[in-house]
Parts: sequence; C-alpha cells; structure tokens
Amino acid sequence: MTENDEKAIEYIDIEEIETVVEPRAGSIAVGKRFDTAPTSSAVPIYIVLPIVFLAVTTLGGMRLAADNSFIFLKPALICLVFAAVTLVLFFRSGLIAVDGWLSEGHTMLRNAANAAILITMFAATVQLFNSLLPEHGLPFWIVGFCFFWTLWNNLFANFDTQRLLRRLAALFGLAFVVKYLVLANLTAPEGTSWLQRMIENPGRETFTWLLDLPRYGPGTGYIQFFTLILYLIGLYLTPTSTKK
Amino acid sequence: MNSKYIQILTLVIVFAGSAFVVFLYWTEPRTIAEVSVKGQVVLGTYTINRAEFDQGLGNFHRDEFIAARAAFDRADPQKRDAIVQFYTAYSYYRQGWGRISNDDALFRAGVEAADRVTAIEPNFRIADDSLKMKTAYELRAELDEGLKITLSDFNPLRLTRERK
Repeated sequence: MTENDEKAIEYIDIEEIETVVEPRAGSIAVGKRFDTAPTSSAVPIYIVLPIVFLAVTTLGGMRLAADNSFIFLKPALICLVFAAVTLVLFFRSGLIAVDGWLSEGHTMLRNAANAAILITMFAATVQLFNSLLPEHGLPFWIVGFCFFWTLWNNLFANFDTQRLLRRLAALFGLAFVVKYLVLANLTAPEGTSWLQRMIENPGRETFTWLLDLPRYGPGTGYIQFFTLILYLIGLYLTPTSTKK
Repeated sequence: MNSKYIQILTLVIVFAGSAFVVFLYWTEPRTIAEVSVKGQVVLGTYTINRAEFDQGLGNFHRDEFIAARAAFDRADPQKRDAIVQFYTAYSYYRQGWGRISNDDALFRAGVEAADRVTAIEPNFRIADDSLKMKTAYELRAELDEGLKITLSDFNPLRLTRERK
C-alpha cells in the first residue's frame, strides 16, 4: 500500500465520522435548535435516541399496584395499529425521510443501525399508546375511537412537520389528562371490603364498577408523565435524515 | 469515535435493550429484587437459599409447619425447586391432617404444591427416611383422598390410622 493510498483511506475515515443532521423542513423552532447547537456528531442520533425510545418502551406498559409493586401490561393489538399509522404520518409529514434513513447509498452497517433506531421508535410509539389508552371497559373504546378518528383524519390532511408535532403533543396530552387525571380521580381507592368502599366513597366506587377502572398506585401517573415527556423529547431529537 | 463503532454500539444498545424489555414483559417481576431472581431463572443460574431451606427443614421436623413454609418460600421464591416444593406440599399435608377430619383448605394448597413438583420433575423421589411418602404422586393421592368424602370416612377404625 502506497503512502497516497493510506492518506486516501484516512481521508475517507474522517469523512465518515461527520454525520450531519439536516434540520426538519418547515420547522422554525427546529431550525433555531440546529443554528444554536449544530450537531456534527452522530452520538445524539445513534446513542441517545435508541436509549430514549427504549426507556419509553420499558416504561410505557409499566403501572404500580396499590402496594407499589410493578405491573407490566402488554400492549393491545390496537396499539400496534395506531403506532403503524403514526409512523406513516411521520413519513408523510416529512418528520422522517425514508431515503434519509434507509438508502442504498449507505453502508450495510449504517442502514442496520438506522433501521434499529426506527424499530425502537415504533416500539416506543406502541408503548405510548399502551400507556395512554385505558386498559378496558367503556373508556378503552371511547379513547380508542378518539385516537382512531384523529389519526385517520390526519392521514388525509395536508400539514407540515411542526403542525404534526403540535397535533400529536395535544392529542397525547389530552389522552394523558383523561386517563391519569380524570379517570384516576374517579377510581375508588383500594379498601378492605366492597361494603366499606361503598360507604366511604359511594360515587367513586360506582364509577369504578361502571367504567371497569383498574386501581393503580398514585405513582403510575408520575411514571407515565415522565414517559410521555421522554417520547416527545425523542421525537424532537429525531432528525429528518442522517445523510452525510 | 469512528462512526462505524458508534453504529455497532447502536446495534448493541438496541439488541440488549430489546432483550431487557422482552424479559420484563415476559417474566413480569413485581419488585426490583424479583428482577434479579427472574434474571437468574432465565439465565439458568437460579439456586435456592440453602440456609433458609435448612431452617425450614428444621421447622418441618419439629412440626412447626407455618414457620417451615415461610422459610421454604424465602428459600425458593420462584417455586422452581422440586425438593423445596415437595416439603412445602408435605407440610400442608401434615398440618391439615386430622384423625377425624382434614383441613380442606390446607389439603388443596398441598395439591397445588404437589402439582408443582411433578411439573418441575415428573420422576421426583425424595431421599428422606423420615417421610413415608417418597414421591409427589403418592402425596397427591393421599391429599386427594383426604379431600373426598366417601363411606370409608365414617368407618370408626379410621380413628386408629396414623399420619404419614
């Protein structure tokens, strides 16, 4: 190998290190973010993003029982459908450019790493819906229908990335309020017997029975709030493309 | 750091993280301590707490069955050891046994424990000379017999029978 060849290889290596993150099209706020802190390193995408999405995946189905023991709820099938539609929305709105993440021009390793990140994003989205959808009963169907209606309408609407992010934040925020503030406050606390619970909290016990509400520990809402925020941070950190 | 190494690290993080998530949702641990124990079960390194088991065995032979079962539970929290589960089932039998009538609730719990033994190790046989029933099948049959009401239950000679 000649000295020129070695220099050329070294030059290629250096060029590969630089992974420039393109700002999201149509997003003023995002544009500002990149102006103030230009991301020339791949670390935020390839290290931080998967960790954030995996954390959301772990916490999304986690609840605390009345005795503060863990409960891990597997997602309902509808959560996978909602997550798939949400990802389609991400692609349509330009939040994620498919050819910017998966391309023939990329190396195999880079495509594999990008695909792995997109898979963690899908898993996190599934678990976010698992977190925000009530577990069963009438609230499950009502909130599920609201999710379906909103996502279905968005599929055919014209909007940019910024508007999509705002809509999703509003949708998820509202669902969080419904489940962890409204419904949680209608749930009667755990008591020794049905009669005692009826005497102490007749209204809440009736709602708990009518709406089939699960009795979780108060820590559940805090965990899920943290999960929602983490997911939104993950979306905010996600670049449109990972092109060099 | 070279981008190749970063991308390899991404794949490692995603695979390790995904394995951890699947493990959590598959085994459903209820406490942080259970995460470690269930992890040992998955990795095949799960062993019982020998000191607690010996303590339980001592209680069992002194007919202190409630204390014995508490120690057995501490020794084998995942209920995956055939010997511990056999002694648990036997303790339910001995505590529930009565010369005139048996305690059905304890016998039913004994049946569940005996079933766990056969599920863990179908050909299980205990090497303890102080026990008259050596296998989970014998114990299960005795417990089943104790739960049934038959004509032989009214035989006055039953009063002369001995606990096994």
